[in-house]
Amino acid sequence: MIDLRNVSRIYRRGADEVHALEHVSLHVPAARFVALMGPSGSGKSTLLNILAGLDRPTDGEVVVAGERLNDLSEDELAAFRGRHVGFVFQFFNLIPVLTAQENVELPLLLTHLARAERRERAATALRVVGLSERARHVPNQLSGGEQQRVAIARAIVSDPEIIVADEPTGDLDAKNAEETLGLLRTLKQDFAKTVVMVTHDPRAEKYVDLVHHLDKGVLLETREGGAAPGGAS
Amino acid sequence: MIRFLPLVWRNLGRNKTRSVLTGAAIALAIALVCVLRTMPAGLDNLLASITANTRISVHNEAGIVYALPYSYLQKVRSVPGVVAATSWTWFGGAFEEEKGVTFPNFAVDADSIGPVYQDLGIAPEALEAFRRQRDSALVGRQTLEKYHWKVGDRVTLKSTVFPVDLEIQIVGEIPLANDPRLWLQREYLSQALEAQGSHFDLINMVWARVDEPERVNDVMRTIDELFRNSEAETASETEKSFFGNLFGNLQGFVTVILLVTGMVTLCIVFIAANTASMSIRERVGELAVMKALGFRWRTLFWLLILEAGLLAAVSGAAGVAITLGLARALKNLAGWSPQLGPLASFLVTNAILVEGLFLALVIGIVSGVVPAFGASRRSVAATLREVF
Repeated sequence: MIDLRNVSRIYRRGADEVHALEHVSLHVPAARFVALMGPSGSGKSTLLNILAGLDRPTDGEVVVAGERLNDLSEDELAAFRGRHVGFVFQFFNLIPVLTAQENVELPLLLTHLARAERRERAATALRVVGLSERARHVPNQLSGGEQQRVAIARAIVSDPEIIVADEPTGDLDAKNAEETLGLLRTLKQDFAKTVVMVTHDPRAEKYVDLVHHLDKGVLLETREGGAAPGGAS
Repeated sequence: MIRFLPLVWRNLGRNKTRSVLTGAAIALAIALVCVLRTMPAGLDNLLASITANTRISVHNEAGIVYALPYSYLQKVRSVPGVVAATSWTWFGGAFEEEKGVTFPNFAVDADSIGPVYQDLGIAPEALEAFRRQRDSALVGRQTLEKYHWKVGDRVTLKSTVFPVDLEIQIVGEIPLANDPRLWLQREYLSQALEAQGSHFDLINMVWARVDEPERVNDVMRTIDELFRNSEAETASETEKSFFGNLFGNLQGFVTVILLVTGMVTLCIVFIAANTASMSIRERVGELAVMKALGFRWRTLFWLLILEAGLLAAVSGAAGVAITLGLARALKNLAGWSPQLGPLASFLVTNAILVEGLFLALVIGIVSGVVPAFGASRRSVAATLREVF
């Protein structure tokens, strides 16, 4: 599903060069729940952005869902993201002037679906995350946990194969963090989604199949998580 | 783009105070531009509506403020090609003395006013009443509306030129939308002056109608030749030329008006652009998220332009509505002005309203282009890194 081969990413900051990733190779098979962990500045988010088609590597090859992202133009990358990737962010990033239902419907505005179909799909996505009754609420009328579930509904509404989550529990209390991790786990287990998550949260390890540790832009080790066959949970 | 309209509309309501204030600024600017544009439009309309191609003016070569002998009228009438001729003498009557002369009024020859001005559409019964009744008057529609006068009303005008007050009765209308003129009988003025021992045998000008447009130049030449080396040499010109020259000094004012409208437009573009920049800058994070979700930069660009355009269009419609009200109020308040002439007619044409709406739309789009382009072209990853 996701193949990164010898990927490097160098940022320029004034006259300096920052090596965010150095020769990272990573393979994530379909329908796996993978965590990218490591200290701040280790390159986790950069790696996530590159495999999600939000950023381009300075060097190396990125193949995701059968498409070589290096070859795609900006517009093609946007279309790729719309088709194949759902996003969950730390701070939920819902549009504050739209209701939960409308936020979930947002990615579907880029499709040719009729309004009724869009609404039905958004309602289904909200049902999956258990928020049907909050559909008409705007984000500031929802708790942090509810907002994150709306964000997850938005990520899955267009039925992408891949869900990328950048610190999805970073702004949640323990209970909501557990619920969010459980929900991402369900997406992998029940809907065969490939979930790649950047996290600092040690609780995440028991929900994922694999944990990749990065430091200073280098992939240090890969080990099984608690949810892997034969893992801890 | 239709499917995005609810999103665009909600975004406009995101900061209602800012949207309302920006919209109000655009609406007022559009109203100001439209009202200013009514001024040159009034001049154009006057020249287009009251100028006939067979009517000529004969006045003193030294200028219209210099009089001609009344006997010139008969001599003009005798020139071959002249179908009818009437005289005009500035009465300078003030209805409300403290306000001075608020509309142009002239003493004219009642018998010949109809034949000379047959293209104005004055009702035959009104012309007949004007011819028959010594203290009668024909009044332009603008002045009738300004003072809420109607046919049959009696009003008194205090002349600022002659030492007489004349009570007149309105017997008909000069049916042009923005015509401020009032015509009263020369005979009535003459008798009033003679009653005071004054002799009245001067006129300001002669208006004559020529039988064929092709003969106008020959007739004008003949008339001016007729009075060559006389006590008052004449200068004849077509009606269009006469009013064009009369209001020619207003062209400079019109240029200033057009410059001001240009400056107002530019100012409001900068203000709207600043507001659009602020509004978009606050949302760069959201825009990055939308790009992450698959929105192309062009889609986001057009959404932002649509947002600015929608606000401008609504504001433009409000500006047009304000224009209609403001022009009506100004027309009632100011009416005919001797300084501004037809510029003060505040004539709102459909073209001006359409121009106003179009201008609003242009303001919206132009003001949104730069911030929308900048925001929609930002790198998603870099923005997410900076903002979150």
